[in-house]
Amino acid sequence: MKLLLVEDEAELRQTVLETLRQHGYVVETAATFAQAHEKLTLYSYDCVLVDLTLPDGDGLNLIRLLKAENSSAGVLILTARDGVEDRVKGLNLGADDYLVKPFHLSELNARVLAIIRRRQFQGHTSITFRDIVVRPEHNEVLVRGEPLVLTRKEYDLLLYLLANPGRVLTKEAIAEHLCGDQVDAADSLDFIYTYLKNLRKKLQERGVDNYIRTLYGVGYKLNLE
Amino acid sequence: MKLLTATTRYYLLLAAGLFALASGLLYVGLEWALRHEAEEQLRGEQTYVQQLVAQGQPLPARLFVYQLDRSARPRPTGFGDTLLLDPVERELVPFRQLTFRVPASGQGAEWITVRKSLVESQDLLRVVLSVMLGALALLLLGVVGLNRWLARRLWAPFQHTLRRLRAYDLHRHQPLGLPAPAISEFAELNQALNQLSERLVADYESLRQFTENAAHETQTPLAIMQAKLEQALQAPALLEDEATLRLLSDARRAAQRLSRLHQALTLLSKLENQQFAPTQAVLVHLDQVLHDRLAMLEPLLDARDLRLTLHVAPGLPPRHLHLGLADSLLQNLLQNAIKHNQPGGEIVVSLTPTALEISNPGPAIEGDPSRFFERFRKHSAASDSPGLGLSIVQHICAYYGFRVRYLYGAAAARHTLRVEFA
Repeated sequence: MKLLLVEDEAELRQTVLETLRQHGYVVETAATFAQAHEKLTLYSYDCVLVDLTLPDGDGLNLIRLLKAENSSAGVLILTARDGVEDRVKGLNLGADDYLVKPFHLSELNARVLAIIRRRQFQGHTSITFRDIVVRPEHNEVLVRGEPLVLTRKEYDLLLYLLANPGRVLTKEAIAEHLCGDQVDAADSLDFIYTYLKNLRKKLQERGVDNYIRTLYGVGYKLNLE
Repeated sequence: MKLLTATTRYYLLLAAGLFALASGLLYVGLEWALRHEAEEQLRGEQTYVQQLVAQGQPLPARLFVYQLDRSARPRPTGFGDTLLLDPVERELVPFRQLTFRVPASGQGAEWITVRKSLVESQDLLRVVLSVMLGALALLLLGVVGLNRWLARRLWAPFQHTLRRLRAYDLHRHQPLGLPAPAISEFAELNQALNQLSERLVADYESLRQFTENAAHETQTPLAIMQAKLEQALQAPALLEDEATLRLLSDARRAAQRLSRLHQALTLLSKLENQQFAPTQAVLVHLDQVLHDRLAMLEPLLDARDLRLTLHVAPGLPPRHLHLGLADSLLQNLLQNAIKHNQPGGEIVVSLTPTALEISNPGPAIEGDPSRFFERFRKHSAASDSPGLGLSIVQHICAYYGFRVRYLYGAAAARHTLRVEFA
């Protein structure tokens, strides 16, 4: 999977780059509109992450370029909170999703994965993690071949964990993933515990144990082995 | 009181005083002159009569006996006023009379009284006075009228300046640009106001730019900090060192709180400075935004066993709003109702074409309800939340001209926040 990250802020670009590489993506970067434009004209990508405010141009024009070339690449917009109008414009231009800065890197992972899954396999793909198989097109979870019934939010939580295997997920990141990025994390952390407890219990009943590790005061982590 | 009324009032006062004084003086003066004239004539007649008597000639016959009245009995000599009956007009007519003594042909004396009617002079006085007073009154009226008309004309530039000042909006980033009228005082005023507005615009602009830059420049390092700390959490060695992991996580959480706080304050200042372009407002279906938000907040409701009762009137018209602001308004109201709820409580949300009402149960809160909308207002000092939610709600409502009210129903022990759409 090859990604292009267009972000003018060097430090942020570096950190996002590292994170995406850790999750097995081939990532190229562009710091300016000109660089991004050149790379998009020369090469093809599976997903493009575009910061809308670039020093030398409007990120929206990169989306226009991709759409003009009928590119199959997915587009994830990275935008400031107050750029609601640009965000809407970008989605209307054909971008797949948006992420408001500052974002959780784990959230970025989940969004990129979702876009690639939709784009590359038209959603017809399953996510396999050890004994768990998820078929997102059917909203179906199988544990050792047997269907597992989850609530909507438990299912979302499981998908979020599966998008970030081996990664420490903070409680804030999980709260925002489930309740939206405007949620006041300080007031909403108690429910995560409940969801995790229920999800764990359901997995345990199927003999799947110790998949999710609790890091006290920090968050949770999906154990790789 | 209008300046024009005030000046006219003083002007009239002065004019009326002068008018009365002048009338009095004119009357007294004219009367004195006429009387004096009558006396002159009477003295002339006296001299003539005395000459005739000295020469021994007979006194001339008069048409009317009263004009030359002779008497053998003594009378008081000198000038006097008297009233005599005018046989034709049958009324008493004032006369000025002069009585003097002349030696008679015998050894005795004779008293002669000559009289002049004052009727003519009174008529003259009346005519002269009325003509004069009429002219004065006309002059006065004319001057007042002219004054008012002129004043209105002369003050027109001032009225214009006033209108422009009233309509002035600093947020349009335009100096006043007032014209220079012909009257130098007004030209100076306009010039001073123009300079003032130019300075204001420049100051406001630099302040706005500073705020914007500061907001933008602060947000970037905060975003980097959060990303770096999150990445640091992933270090494999930390899984064995939970204490350090927690320290990093706490630092990351604090950075996120700071970033949230910063965003909220930036939103407030953008609302205060009216920096949301009206052109970017779109037709928003509030019921949809409400449903989306409620779906997102469902886990929070679940976690506290909160029940939700939703009344949405059918066929709600969409409103011209900014998507981000509409979202923020509902998010903050709902979050407020969740935060200050009690376990198992009921949140009632009702959305009608005229109002949005969100209520939750809870004990009465001490203090002035209007202060709940103040910044950094916390329900309890221990709360992690900065307490900007209701302030944002109020500012968004003010921005759109909505009215937001806090009500507490003591009987049901319910807090209600009601947003009335304008």
